[in-house]
Amino acid sequence: MSSRLLIAAWSVALASAALSLALVLSSDHEPDPAARAALIVGLGLVYVGCGLVAIVRRPENRVGLLMVIVGFFWFLSSLAESNRPTIFTIGLSLSLLIYGAFAHLILAFPSGRLETPMARAIVILAYVDVTIVQWLLLLFHADIGQANLSCDDCPRNVLAVSESHAASVAVDNLQRGVGLALVWAALAVLYRRARNATPAARRTLLPVVITSSVSIILLAAQLVAASFDRHAAQTLNWFVLASFATVPIGFLIGLLRSRLARSGILRLVVDTADEPSLREAELALREATGDPALRLAYWLDEVHGYVNVRGKPFEIPEDTPTRVTTKIDYLGNPIAALLHDRALLDEPNLLAEVVGVVRMGLEKDRGERALRATELRNRAVLDAIPDLMFRIALDGRYLDYRAPSDYDLVVTEVIGKTVWDRLPRELADQVMAAGRRAIDEREVQTLEYQLDFSGEPRYFEGRVAASGEDEFLLIVRNITERKLQERELQASRARIVAAGDEERRRLERNLHDGAQQRLVSLSLSLRLAEGQLNTNPEAAANLLDSAREELTQALEELRELARGIHPAILTDRGLPAALEALAARATLPVEIERGDENLPAPVEAAAYYVVSEALANVAKYANASCVRVSVAQQNGAARVEVADDGDGGADPALGSGLRGLADRLAALNGTLEVESPPGKGTTIRAEIPLRVG
Amino acid sequence: MSSEKSAANRIGRPSRRCEDGFVRVLIVDDHPSFRASARKLLESDGYEVVGEAADGAGALRVAEELQPDVVLLDVQLPDVDGFEIAERLAAMEHAPEVILTSSRDVSDYGSCVEDSGARGFVPKAELSGAALSLLLE
Repeated sequence: MSSRLLIAAWSVALASAALSLALVLSSDHEPDPAARAALIVGLGLVYVGCGLVAIVRRPENRVGLLMVIVGFFWFLSSLAESNRPTIFTIGLSLSLLIYGAFAHLILAFPSGRLETPMARAIVILAYVDVTIVQWLLLLFHADIGQANLSCDDCPRNVLAVSESHAASVAVDNLQRGVGLALVWAALAVLYRRARNATPAARRTLLPVVITSSVSIILLAAQLVAASFDRHAAQTLNWFVLASFATVPIGFLIGLLRSRLARSGILRLVVDTADEPSLREAELALREATGDPALRLAYWLDEVHGYVNVRGKPFEIPEDTPTRVTTKIDYLGNPIAALLHDRALLDEPNLLAEVVGVVRMGLEKDRGERALRATELRNRAVLDAIPDLMFRIALDGRYLDYRAPSDYDLVVTEVIGKTVWDRLPRELADQVMAAGRRAIDEREVQTLEYQLDFSGEPRYFEGRVAASGEDEFLLIVRNITERKLQERELQASRARIVAAGDEERRRLERNLHDGAQQRLVSLSLSLRLAEGQLNTNPEAAANLLDSAREELTQALEELRELARGIHPAILTDRGLPAALEALAARATLPVEIERGDENLPAPVEAAAYYVVSEALANVAKYANASCVRVSVAQQNGAARVEVADDGDGGADPALGSGLRGLADRLAALNGTLEVESPPGKGTTIRAEIPLRVG
Repeated sequence: MSSEKSAANRIGRPSRRCEDGFVRVLIVDDHPSFRASARKLLESDGYEVVGEAADGAGALRVAEELQPDVVLLDVQLPDVDGFEIAERLAAMEHAPEVILTSSRDVSDYGSCVEDSGARGFVPKAELSGAALSLLLE
């Protein structure tokens, strides 16, 4: 409502009040004009005033309008003070409208709507009772006055068509009977409403219910008394009217409570400076709104949904007659939801402030949470890094450090020390030089070094980055394991090369000692035979015979040698045939178990040499009676196992042959394992991944 | 190995012969089959094989004992290599002529043959009385 309209309404009210005052004071049938004038003018203005305030505060709520109407009905009732019969009669015919409107007001409070059929029925009947029944009464009651009591001094009732005492008594009784019934019904409705109200609603409802109940009870007493004692009824009427004045006071108390609640909200705003948890915020909002079941849920982008104050997912329920959800957003994005008493909707200002506080608090909280989350993430990243970190000033002092454990701290005391206190001088100089370069060039420097930990060497990689104008960050990672692996790899490579060289030497020696010698002998024999061919043919024939023998031997030795270089059968016929050939040449029974899988060529070769070397070892050392060989494919690897039933007790440190095999397998990412308990035979297991490289 | 190449390794020193005209030879080689073949070959060519040894130590001992005119010495012996034995033989009081032999080619040994003080080198496959005589002339 615009302020101009408000001012106009208030002006009309004041004019009406003045008119009423004039009517009352000029009345020649009013026994107590001053009291009546004060009552009418006071109550009228109080209702209109409170109604206008209510309209301003809750324009959408009809309670304010009803209060204004009640106020104007008070002024209207003053027409019955007129000395003119017509006006007096009009006043009388409308004088009871106050009661109808009052019933309407209290039963519609606080929403402004008559929400139950019972309330609607009561109000409709009340209006009928105070209008139609009233008019009916006026037809038969000639000397009627205020409160429908008999009045001898009052002007003439122009509506009276006949002076029928019986009819007037009947209608009067009907009116009072109906009124009394409606009064009790209204009281019952109010009582039930107060009892069933949610705490938040009760807070607003209670002052009005109490004050209006008092009025209703007094009205009931008046209606009853009117049948017996006219004076008592008249006196009670004063009380009834006076009690009506308390109803707007009840309304004001309700308002005041809302204001108190709002100050609670303000306190919450202040308290958020102390970073309340969301749970505490929810409790504070419950206290502030008087709704102990209020629930606060906030929007979480990560889950794209609401979670409650404990962080559990929260489904927004459907609205019910008692509980509704108010969603809160910020710049178009959802940030929270309040599940609250529907009564809070009747206090839009309070709700608006609650929403405002939640929005402000959550935005603040969201900012802080985001900051905390970032900090947590950074901390998690730092915690996950196993490196040592040192902040070092340009003068060499340690400013700060972070170490997952003391394990890699060569000197556990750090802060206050200098690099020269903790590190060997040469290394300390290197670190400082790298730090200066990092600051000057703004580029990360790296250095690798070794430190001695009670005789145990450990290797480290240091990364140096500028962390200010006169300080740098040294991040240190233990790379001992990597270094050892690198060394093992280098050693393994060297062994493979050495094994290759040794193999070539062996081949050369074998060729020299074997086939070459045979061929030399053959050559000499042929030369001898040649010399004796004419002189001693028989001797020459013997020499040729032995030459042929030498040649056969030489061929056999060459074959054996070639087999040692690479078994032709493995290339030509594959692993199964090559293993069979190994078994056939072995000096003891060999049992072979093998699946039909095709293995990659490098894996087949490795498997062949494992079996070949193992069988050679069995023949040389094991004193076994049989050997079992198995080759199987399992979990993406070939598993080769050679087990004998010999003496066992083989040296697990591996002989040079097995060592060479281990290197060969390592080159294929494979492993070799020797199990040889004394007296229980020896088992050699090799595992060779099928995916080579 | 060509004979021209072998000739290039001959060292011009006077030959040693016994009074009865037979050249006395000691064969040193770790392969019995070669020793047997060489003995037959040299004897059929008029040499007297007075002894055999299978290694360097044996060669020195037998040479000391038998004082052969010529030692046919394999380069590759199981204990000490032939070049060293050749030097030690040359240092003996009655130093024999040393002819080194091997199933390898002389070029495999670089200047070792020359430096060892040996009279010459003959590849095993080309061994004959004539080849030996040529070196000893």
